[in-house]
Amino acid sequence: MSTLTQTDLGPTTPADQPAAAPPGRTGRSPFAPQGVGRVLTGILLTVGALATLFPFYAMVVLSLKPNGGLFFPGSLVPNDLTLDNYARVLQGNQVIRWALNTLLYSGISVVFVLLLSSMAGYAFAKKRFPGKNVIFWSFLGMLMVPYHITLIPLFVIVAKADGVNTYWGLIVPTLANAQATFLMRQFIRGIPDELLDAARVDGASEFRIFAQIVLPLCKPILATLGLFVFLWHWNDFLWPLVVAQSPEMQMLTTGIAGLMQDKVPMSVAMAGSVVALAPIFVAYLFAQRHFTEGATMSGLKG
Amino acid sequence: MASLLAAGRPASRRLRRREALVGAAFVLPMLVLFLLFRFAPFLGGLGLAFGKYTLGGGFRWKGLDNFERLAHDGLFWHSLKVTLIYTVVSVPVLVAVAVGMALLVRRSFRGVRFFRAAFFLPVITSLVLAGVVFIWIFSADGAVPRLLGSIGLSEGSWLTNDVLAIVAIAAVAIWGRFGFDMLIVLARLQDIPRELEEAAMMDGAGAWQRFRHITLPQLRPVFFFLGVIEVIGSFQVFDAVYIMTGGGPVKATYTLGYMLYDQAFKFFDFGYASAVALALFALVLVISLVQRLILDRGSD
Repeated sequence: MSTLTQTDLGPTTPADQPAAAPPGRTGRSPFAPQGVGRVLTGILLTVGALATLFPFYAMVVLSLKPNGGLFFPGSLVPNDLTLDNYARVLQGNQVIRWALNTLLYSGISVVFVLLLSSMAGYAFAKKRFPGKNVIFWSFLGMLMVPYHITLIPLFVIVAKADGVNTYWGLIVPTLANAQATFLMRQFIRGIPDELLDAARVDGASEFRIFAQIVLPLCKPILATLGLFVFLWHWNDFLWPLVVAQSPEMQMLTTGIAGLMQDKVPMSVAMAGSVVALAPIFVAYLFAQRHFTEGATMSGLKG
Repeated sequence: MASLLAAGRPASRRLRRREALVGAAFVLPMLVLFLLFRFAPFLGGLGLAFGKYTLGGGFRWKGLDNFERLAHDGLFWHSLKVTLIYTVVSVPVLVAVAVGMALLVRRSFRGVRFFRAAFFLPVITSLVLAGVVFIWIFSADGAVPRLLGSIGLSEGSWLTNDVLAIVAIAAVAIWGRFGFDMLIVLARLQDIPRELEEAAMMDGAGAWQRFRHITLPQLRPVFFFLGVIEVIGSFQVFDAVYIMTGGGPVKATYTLGYMLYDQAFKFFDFGYASAVALALFALVLVISLVQRLILDRGSD
């Protein structure tokens, strides 16, 4: 089992198709643009990168400016910088509490989404049971239903069960993840039946087969999917806005949105945004490939 | 086939029963979650639209009342119009930018990884958090009005301008999303056989001809795929509106998604909000069916 590498799993698994940088195409292309085309390409790319990155630059510089007002007459040249805005937004530990909430919301969700969707994916991929197809296609069908139509009844259900402003009320409803289940099923389908049968012949229990053969083989997709579920929860806004309203239950997104409505100086809100975005950016710096793979996968397979 | 043992020889009934039990056990937790938090709310959403519901007072059947009210509600038609305008403004530009950038970073050159990474960065950024800086960027003192002012074009805040506010929201959405679509296009571009283009080049086809006759036809399925998901996404636009304009100025950015939130969580009119949601759902269904039809015809 340990000798089974990723490529043995067959070409159908999404992780086998790296999106951004396929190997073997790194050489100079014969139709790389030349002359005028090359200059134009350079200009377009530079303009694109400036437009993409400028907001981040502005956010960081403005968060470091001494400013009490709502708007900035000043320039974006980084002079007379100060950490006052950061001190102000971190004071009272409010933002730290929001960060912890966000971490809990994202972390717990990741663990359970991965576990439950891989279990369901295993059953859909490798087992026969009555109603399997109906259940599977109803799961997928829910992807077509806009989130908004379930939002109100979902809130009513959670409210009736006294789940408003609780962690479970926030987290549990987000665990029913059709896309994750679908991706896990696709990946597990690529695991050869022989491998599972061999373990079965050796007398391994179903639980052991799942925990010690299936899950370890799923590591690459679990990593990518986990990262994406984490990201989705970290950035989630509408559901926390509705369910976690009390100040001590808010997320970074809802908390900082609330700060702005309290009309704190914009520079302070920007400091808060920088604090909230920083962990994700650091993660992106180190695991860029997983982020882009996750996007391609969820886009192509979802 | 689930397992070799079952496939190779006629499986005994006991073995099959066992397999079914195991399968059901593995799928059960997810199934329960789906029943409680997806299917039940979906049915609930359909039901709520036909009555009046308050958290304290329970449900009262009202038949088609909510829909009648919807039909006569100027604000609903206004929000529908805003949503459609937003979609028409943002989706084509978004897909065009994504395809353009994908073509630019398709080949390998020095620094290509930097551009790919930079273009993807907004995708992992919460638009709510980025909204803070975009409020400044589009404000009277912000980067965009000042830049345009310096070349003699419009000045003044975009977010208080009833035409430009929705353009600003669309710009933020495009900024936050094009990197994602670019990756999808890139993935498709990598699948186009290189020989096709090499052959065309041997025959003397220029860059534009190669793009027009080889790349573009190969990308058609991606166009439709992106079209569907981006149209559905744009119908539900909420985060950027909430943070940047709150539906204003004078309801100029009051989208369907925002109206739904307003009705449900500001006025607690769950029945009426559900009717809005149902209208949104119908709209999404129709659009995806239409796009499906065009897609099927296009692939013939």
